[in-house]
Amino acid sequence: MGFKKKNRHVGIVGIGETKFSSHREDVNQPEMIHEAVKDALEDAGLTMDDIDCVVHGNMELFEMVHQPDLWHTLGTGARGKDAFRLTTGGTTGGTLVGAADNLVAAGMYDTVLAIGFEKLQEGHTTGGITNMADPLWARKLQSGALTDSAAVKAIAEFGPDRAKKAAMLYRIIMDKHACLNPNSHRAFGLDWDQMADLMENSPPLIGDLRLIHMCSQSDGACAMILSSEEKAKQQCDHPVWIRDHITIHREETLNLCVNHYPNETTHRFAARHLYERNGITDPLDYFDVFEMYDPSAWWGADWIRDFFLLEGDAHYRLIEEKEIMRGGKMPINPSGGVLAANPIGATAMVRVAEAAKQVRGNAGPHQIPGTVNHAIASSFGGTMWTILIMLEKELNW
Amino acid sequence: MTRNVSICAMAQIKNQPAIWQHRFQGMLMECFESIMEQTQVTFDMDTGLRNVVTCSDDVFDARTISDAAVTDVVGAHFRGEEKVAQDGISALGYAMACILSGHDDLILVMGHCKESQSESRNMCTNLSFDPFYSRPLGLDYLNAAAFQARAYMEETGLTDAHLADIVVRSRQNGAHTRHARENEQVTAKEVMASPLVADPIRQMHHYPVTDWAVGFLLCCEERAHEFTDNPVRLTGFGSCMDSYFLGDRDLTAHFALKKACARAYTMAGITDPEKELDLVELNDACAYQLPLWAEGIGITGKARGPKWMEAGGMDKHHVNLSGGMLNGNPLMLGGLARAAYGFTQLQGTAGINQVTGLQRALAHGTTGAAGQHHAVLILEK
Amino acid sequence: MEKEMNVTDNDNFDTMADQELIVLRKTISVDQKFATGPVMGKFLTALKDKRILAIQCPECGRLQSPPREMCAICRVRNREWVEIGPRGEMRMMEYCYYSSPDPLTGESRETPYGAIGILLDGCQKEEVFWHLLRPEHLEMVEMGIVMGDRVTRGTRLRPVWAQERSGSIDDIKYFEIDE
Repeated sequence: MGFKKKNRHVGIVGIGETKFSSHREDVNQPEMIHEAVKDALEDAGLTMDDIDCVVHGNMELFEMVHQPDLWHTLGTGARGKDAFRLTTGGTTGGTLVGAADNLVAAGMYDTVLAIGFEKLQEGHTTGGITNMADPLWARKLQSGALTDSAAVKAIAEFGPDRAKKAAMLYRIIMDKHACLNPNSHRAFGLDWDQMADLMENSPPLIGDLRLIHMCSQSDGACAMILSSEEKAKQQCDHPVWIRDHITIHREETLNLCVNHYPNETTHRFAARHLYERNGITDPLDYFDVFEMYDPSAWWGADWIRDFFLLEGDAHYRLIEEKEIMRGGKMPINPSGGVLAANPIGATAMVRVAEAAKQVRGNAGPHQIPGTVNHAIASSFGGTMWTILIMLEKELNW
Repeated sequence: MTRNVSICAMAQIKNQPAIWQHRFQGMLMECFESIMEQTQVTFDMDTGLRNVVTCSDDVFDARTISDAAVTDVVGAHFRGEEKVAQDGISALGYAMACILSGHDDLILVMGHCKESQSESRNMCTNLSFDPFYSRPLGLDYLNAAAFQARAYMEETGLTDAHLADIVVRSRQNGAHTRHARENEQVTAKEVMASPLVADPIRQMHHYPVTDWAVGFLLCCEERAHEFTDNPVRLTGFGSCMDSYFLGDRDLTAHFALKKACARAYTMAGITDPEKELDLVELNDACAYQLPLWAEGIGITGKARGPKWMEAGGMDKHHVNLSGGMLNGNPLMLGGLARAAYGFTQLQGTAGINQVTGLQRALAHGTTGAAGQHHAVLILEK
Repeated sequence: MEKEMNVTDNDNFDTMADQELIVLRKTISVDQKFATGPVMGKFLTALKDKRILAIQCPECGRLQSPPREMCAICRVRNREWVEIGPRGEMRMMEYCYYSSPDPLTGESRETPYGAIGILLDGCQKEEVFWHLLRPEHLEMVEMGIVMGDRVTRGTRLRPVWAQERSGSIDDIKYFEIDE
């Protein structure tokens, strides 16, 4: 039986993002969402009349709103539409794109609007994430998404000098990308000569994970409009096609040794299955850009190896030779990635949105040089959960 | 659409006032083990389950990413898992889409809710309102329902006696339904003497606090025979969102429910619901909602609810033979409970209340205050 | 380090220049009654007697402590119990400088503290136990590391039990150097 072709093709026809910021007191939640929805509709040249179904997601305990899609109807435009709410932690934005893709491919809806948002200013983010832990045990021990397990692993494998330099080099490359993206929440203007200083003096959070390595807590929303092939071709000159997506979760974490032993991670497992079923033998060669959900520079640097099925220090060499920069062999996060902005329920969707903009060639100041035919975006959340979404410029696979 | 979707198996635990002896993980595990035993389904990446759709809620579980707590007990370790965080009937609707899209052949749907864990479900639903205006006013799903109940009674002449009849019948039917919450049988007089909790809603008019978990195995129709001899097809789904502020809505106008039904009926090829639906399961968190939603889905006319009841409409249309949500299912799972009962009826295993010659059933779910969001699912033999 | 954006400087937010923006501050609290279930319940009860239990998967044999109803890998119910530790070897430490709140109490944790993974005696590979290190010992411990064939041993640790034990994570105050 195996993996089948989609019932029908699905294209991205509209993308909207708010400016990402540490604080948006000037708008309430539905108003902020409305900015992204309006932006996506304008981008697609559509109105709410063209939308059949609205899919919404975030995490309730960050803002302490139960089923917020109900209130947010004021800003989503969902009144009179079919409406779903899906949430899967940090992966939510990827889940929403995958769900919208499924809903359109199924033939149930022709045009679906997917909306991810978070207003992290309105709650305590680390407290909110710690709340995911089991109340009988780990809630006492966990500190949000902060962990230096990736640093411990990298230092054990590559030695402290090389590992710390690779993480900081990754961080500065991301900042250089973020400085070109007008939507960035954090764009510091870091330069290479600051590496030594940052490695010593950035405030430590946990072990070798320092403040400079970690993603931000942002307010913001992202909206994407997906249509069936027939509709997409009417609505848009150059839809970006969603080729395939895969979601891989893993069990709840009740110990700290995750990834400490060299077994297969969710990232590698997801990538291996996705590439196999789509006949991609050399992902580093195939893809033209990668938008990764990189919650910290340590994780980002480490995960390149798994997502591209690399071995040994191949991922470090990509970083050290700056091949992950715009213009390099595999540009990673030309948007600046999650280190530049992290409105959690939107973050994973922003990865897909930014990858799609790169395919369209109109990402703005951070558009990478050359043609982007094949793009991939990742989502991260929960207890090392991963989603990969493949985008294509042409319908030719 | 090129494929059809079937439910091959369903497993549930008993609806209970407080499952103090289990974590919700233990509740789900029993459902999971039953589905594995009934179907022998595997998690093979090519031919087995690659994706699980769960239904739960962070506020009711008091856990951020509530689905992170259940990955192991729904079998989703190193497989996909997607949580639908609204009434569970939408989880079935979404699972249908996963299969119709061609992305998956099989989907496991697993839902849980433990209402007894929080000190007050009304404090939880109060959090669904905007923090500036409606929340400080003290709105929750119960007192929002009271506004709707009053409007509906004013419009149609529905009386306290009608509501008592619905409660008495719900408890009689509940007593005949396997896995239903065990409630005392009551007389109409006792219902009318039960205390008002949000005028005009009395305590017995409102579903009791309940803990429950349920699972379904969905499959593309061409492979259903691998897992069951007695599949039930899902042939229609539709949902619709209404306005947020209660004052922006006509609370008895059925704006969202009618649209949700129109889409589901079109998909299932239904033109006359009054004649073509053999069994109806409505998500009646409060007694007044049974005739109100019956109007909305079109088995009786606008404002005709009380007359329809008096003419024996509830039994004639086989409405809520399960006892309905009113007999006790937790929030989030009201719609999944309706679908679960529709499934047993269409399989012919509903027991004393089994209806003969059934072909088609409607299961309804609703999310939000006074039915802000409605979803309906059509099940067929 | 962190450059804060100034709202009024940004072109996207141009409408509110003269308006006072009001922020409502609320602490939201709904009391919860968490069930332990029979599996977690047995584990917590044993802590009262200063015993640490693990549950074992009938198929792959892996131990889990705290225990869970099922083995996620084999998708089967765990049934057998094994007593582990209480002494063990430190395999992982999160040296926490960031003062995060305990969501069950709302109180901020005192920093620095060490959240540690201990390979209790009787366990292997990833079967580590998650708890806290005695704060005075933060600078005195080594974590053991396993990278393929490379194995280094971590500091031996033992639990320090609370005087009053009620069947909760607090029954163990922390782990300290076992010498």
